[in-house]
Amino acid sequence: MGIEQLRLSVKLGGASGDGGGERISGQRVGQPRKSPSAPSFHDKMYASRNTSEPVLPNHVPALNSSNSADNASLNDADASLSVINLYGDEVESRRADDGALQSPEEVLSDDPGLSSTPFGQRSSNSATDGPDLDRYGFKKQNNFITEKEYNRWWRDYSQYCVRRKHKWKLLLEKSGFPIDNDSPYRFPPRSEKLKRYVRKGIPAEWRGNAWWHFARGQEKLNKNKGVYDTLLSKMDELIRKKKVVADLDIIERDLNRTFPDNMHFQREAFQTEEPPMIKSLRRVLVAFSLYNPKIGYCQSMNFLAGLLLLFMDEERTFWMLVIITSKYLPGVHNVNLEGVNVDQGVLMLCVKEYLPEFWRFIVPFQNQTGSDSSPNSSPSLGKNEFLYKLPPITLCTASWFMSCFVGVLPVESTLRVWDCLFYEESNFLFKACLAILKLSEQELIKARSLKLLRHHSISDGGDYNKREIQLNQDETEMEIFQVIQTFPKRMLNPNDMFDKVIFKKRIPLNRLDQDEVDRCRKYVAAQRLKYKNYHELIGTSNRTNESGLNGSIINSGDRDDTKHSGLGSEENADAAAFDFNDDRTASDFVNNALSSEVYGFKRGLSGVHWNNSIKEKVRQMRKRKVSSNDQLMKN
Amino acid sequence: MGNSVSRALGKLFGSREMKILMLGLDNAGKTTILYKLKLNKIKTSAPTVGFNVETVAYKNVKFNMWDVGGQERLRPLWRHYFPATTALIFVIDSHDKDRLDEAKEELYSIISEKEMENVVLLVWANKQDLKGALKPQEVSSYLQLGENLKNQLWCVVGSNALTGQGLVEGLSWISSNTHKK
Repeated sequence: MGIEQLRLSVKLGGASGDGGGERISGQRVGQPRKSPSAPSFHDKMYASRNTSEPVLPNHVPALNSSNSADNASLNDADASLSVINLYGDEVESRRADDGALQSPEEVLSDDPGLSSTPFGQRSSNSATDGPDLDRYGFKKQNNFITEKEYNRWWRDYSQYCVRRKHKWKLLLEKSGFPIDNDSPYRFPPRSEKLKRYVRKGIPAEWRGNAWWHFARGQEKLNKNKGVYDTLLSKMDELIRKKKVVADLDIIERDLNRTFPDNMHFQREAFQTEEPPMIKSLRRVLVAFSLYNPKIGYCQSMNFLAGLLLLFMDEERTFWMLVIITSKYLPGVHNVNLEGVNVDQGVLMLCVKEYLPEFWRFIVPFQNQTGSDSSPNSSPSLGKNEFLYKLPPITLCTASWFMSCFVGVLPVESTLRVWDCLFYEESNFLFKACLAILKLSEQELIKARSLKLLRHHSISDGGDYNKREIQLNQDETEMEIFQVIQTFPKRMLNPNDMFDKVIFKKRIPLNRLDQDEVDRCRKYVAAQRLKYKNYHELIGTSNRTNESGLNGSIINSGDRDDTKHSGLGSEENADAAAFDFNDDRTASDFVNNALSSEVYGFKRGLSGVHWNNSIKEKVRQMRKRKVSSNDQLMKN
Repeated sequence: MGNSVSRALGKLFGSREMKILMLGLDNAGKTTILYKLKLNKIKTSAPTVGFNVETVAYKNVKFNMWDVGGQERLRPLWRHYFPATTALIFVIDSHDKDRLDEAKEELYSIISEKEMENVVLLVWANKQDLKGALKPQEVSSYLQLGENLKNQLWCVVGSNALTGQGLVEGLSWISSNTHKK
């Protein structure tokens, strides 16, 4: 395992190279077994890269000089390499691959960088996954899923993957896009059909390219040619001069804790050198912290970069990280965490709008966030208070956003969310959250009825003092948290999210498009800012209120600016005219003032109908135009 | 019915439930401790973004343990989790001497919060298995809890999350020192 496996993967590897884009002959081993119409189920595609030396991604290692002609084609697509063992969990396929390994040609194509490592033996039967690993190198079993459960699910799901891949191939062929060595890099233009295909899952071995394509990575890279290399040399220089690289310590502490259950990130006991993946991860994260000091390094970015590295090379990973943290999750990883708080506010609004039943699980506890709020203040809670005093459940969901579900959902489900995220933009993250919450509802109802039972048994005994209530609230909170924490980790099947919620018309999630999310984000951000400004104006020194605000926006920098922009002069006068002796009155006042503006979701016709009717209209208009043009021509 | 009976019996024999907040710098071993207690398994754990919450039963006490992510910038997210906490567990990496100051500072900033006035404080001087790790006594004298803490009961226990050494001792200390309240 470990390094040997990686070495093997170079030999077997499909696309490879340090972003350069050369092809190793291993590709040819895989190909004959793959017919275009029915992808090989046991295909084993490993790839690794020579990262044991600080090679800059644009360098093409002189690696395949001894290889045959098909290596000569350099194309963009190969820059995305996959380290994944695609469909091969089975013993036969491993034997077949081992057999292929023996061919002398394969040995020739070995990577010089890796063969110079202390563990030089080539052919080793240990260089295969244990059957306990999934196709990405993660352990199948964890605290939440047994290996048996995994295998049972995978038996059907792998078939599904083969079927979907076949459909994708047909789609690409029909649209005239080449499928280069099972690594297409161009995809059809956006359409409802393509969106549906993406929602049903991009073939795993195409993911790197597809994400890069949909997230417009190449555009970003073209505008910033050489930037990543410069950052790396800056990093090397800083380290050589022993200067302090901000965040390096924090990054260092997290490197070996990133995916400890993945073979590509794991250091075996006998290994002296750290896995190439860890080195890549370090470079990407440090380069990022130099590139964007406003974000620097925030825990959870290690997971984002780590997962990306399984599908693409370092430089692409770096730019994808840049894109994710700016376009898809704006401000979420910033030092003040305001971005993530805004998104939690948006999510809460969405839960209230789309999952009113679920909202009832959240509401009774929303006023516990501030320690001073007593139960009887709940009816007077402003309609919007939850946007500033975020409900406790957001402690949980905040991490879903920060790590984009890595470690929250099982890997196959996470990847499906990422497929849709890059195609549909950040609105999909909210859809995914809503789907998970919706699916967990049954469990919550179970937990709640248990709690109610206990609740009754106490009140029957007449021993129902305030402390008991408090305890019970804690208890329920515990149960809710445990459900919300555990439930997604057991969502092995990515299709559940879609078939049971997102594709269902009953919950009109289609309406929640990117416009809506953007508008919602703006609204929540403005509301939170106003709330903060009111509080400053009132000059309340009540710390509990601040803690309800998560403390973070109080510290945000541009305080004076925002005060002027956020508050009209009338509101100023209002606030000043009011005498606040009591903090509660003050917060009620603030709340009343703010909740007069209620966010309005788009309603009415469901998205699908709307789209269809518009489409029909456009079609008719076109027809009319064409026919009138024809008439003009005739005339 | 059965439920209420067991509940009543529990009351009679002092069955209790308490909310425990487990904090500490990143990489101190909080999550490893939690899952050692919960599952008696060593889970190679990844950095916690957000938190883990588990119920650990020990004798007739149910500990609702909140293990909260460590990185400094994520701390504001859980600030409002202080209320209604019975005990605070602070986990220290006894082997990482470079960060002891940081840990001490963090501990004092938490314990001086208003909501922490009445908690009992348990410090787990973790990673005792590592060579050169500070002994619990050394950690204790470094933290100067005796000089500085007026209100809270406190205790420093050496622990090793891998073997489970010190974990039960810590919990039973908490349970016996919160009994009177």
